[in-house]
Amino acid sequence: MVFPGMALLQRAKGPDSFWKKRRLFRLTAHFRGRNRNVWTLVLRNVKRALVRATKGRIERKKDMHDLRVTRITAAVEEHGFTQPLFADGLNRSRVYLDTKVLADLSIWEPRTFKALTHLAWSKTFKDRVEGVDEQGTPPANVAIKDLKDS
Amino acid sequence: MSNRHLFQQSGFVKAPFYNGFNRYVCQLKRITLKFCKEYGGSRGLRDFIEQNLVDFARENPQVVVYVKPRRHRSPVLVAEYLDGHREWMSLHNFQRDECYRWIHNMLTASGDQSIRYRKLWHTENPSIQGVWNPFTNRDPALNIATFPLKDMRRPANMPPTATELILEMAAQKEKMKELQTGKTEESKTEDSHV
Repeated sequence: MVFPGMALLQRAKGPDSFWKKRRLFRLTAHFRGRNRNVWTLVLRNVKRALVRATKGRIERKKDMHDLRVTRITAAVEEHGFTQPLFADGLNRSRVYLDTKVLADLSIWEPRTFKALTHLAWSKTFKDRVEGVDEQGTPPANVAIKDLKDS
Repeated sequence: MSNRHLFQQSGFVKAPFYNGFNRYVCQLKRITLKFCKEYGGSRGLRDFIEQNLVDFARENPQVVVYVKPRRHRSPVLVAEYLDGHREWMSLHNFQRDECYRWIHNMLTASGDQSIRYRKLWHTENPSIQGVWNPFTNRDPALNIATFPLKDMRRPANMPPTATELILEMAAQKEKMKELQTGKTEESKTEDSHV
């Protein structure tokens, strides 16, 4: 007896389960213990790993930002100033450098970073920003007479 | 997350020992083409071998070419490089021109290129002013100071102790007394003058 096409399609099995499993096993190759090669555990743990990878992509950006802010804070406090005032002062001076560049400068070009700190300090002191008086007097080596107000 | 990167070596951008700076050394040393004489998957590679391989070998005498027929297996290309790297590639169902292009890609490649880049840039001089270190912004007077220093024995923001407060109050009281006594003496002397 000859079956027509539709009847055959109904009986057609899905994709080969061996290769389907192989696709997930490729993702668990670096797992430990039975999570690597026991199918039920692989199913569960691959799903978890992929969810974490998705979340991690966002969290990594936050972590990097936090790390850079921490570095900038430490570098600014070394010169006797604070990070919020530093950021405010740079904004007022129209120095639009992002946290990545500032953190890199603080490590690789510390003299430039010191100059930026003094600039921000002088600018905030001139503009009478709240909280700047607690930091004492700004360094006297900065001339911000010609700096345009933002 | 993909399998390709799991066991991939990581590294930095580099050129293979300035190849091509004043002379070029082809990094590909040996290429092996494996194919089947009957199956259709090897059709393109068979065409390449028939029509292009002799010219390829003649043009590139520095590359050893092996051709290996094997029954009922899919076609494969293995390229071996000067740095010991061995590149395996399936040529299953590839057309002749595809085989041609991939083989030329292997010819011009510089050995092991399959690394995950940690940084997409490279510099020999990362810092002009000198990298920050704990002594960069320190007072140079500390270089010749003899330790222990009196100022550094307590925390920077430590409030005065109760004893110190009382001592200070006592000192102020004495000062006031002195001032008062001084004033009275002065007034006495003034009176005497009058």
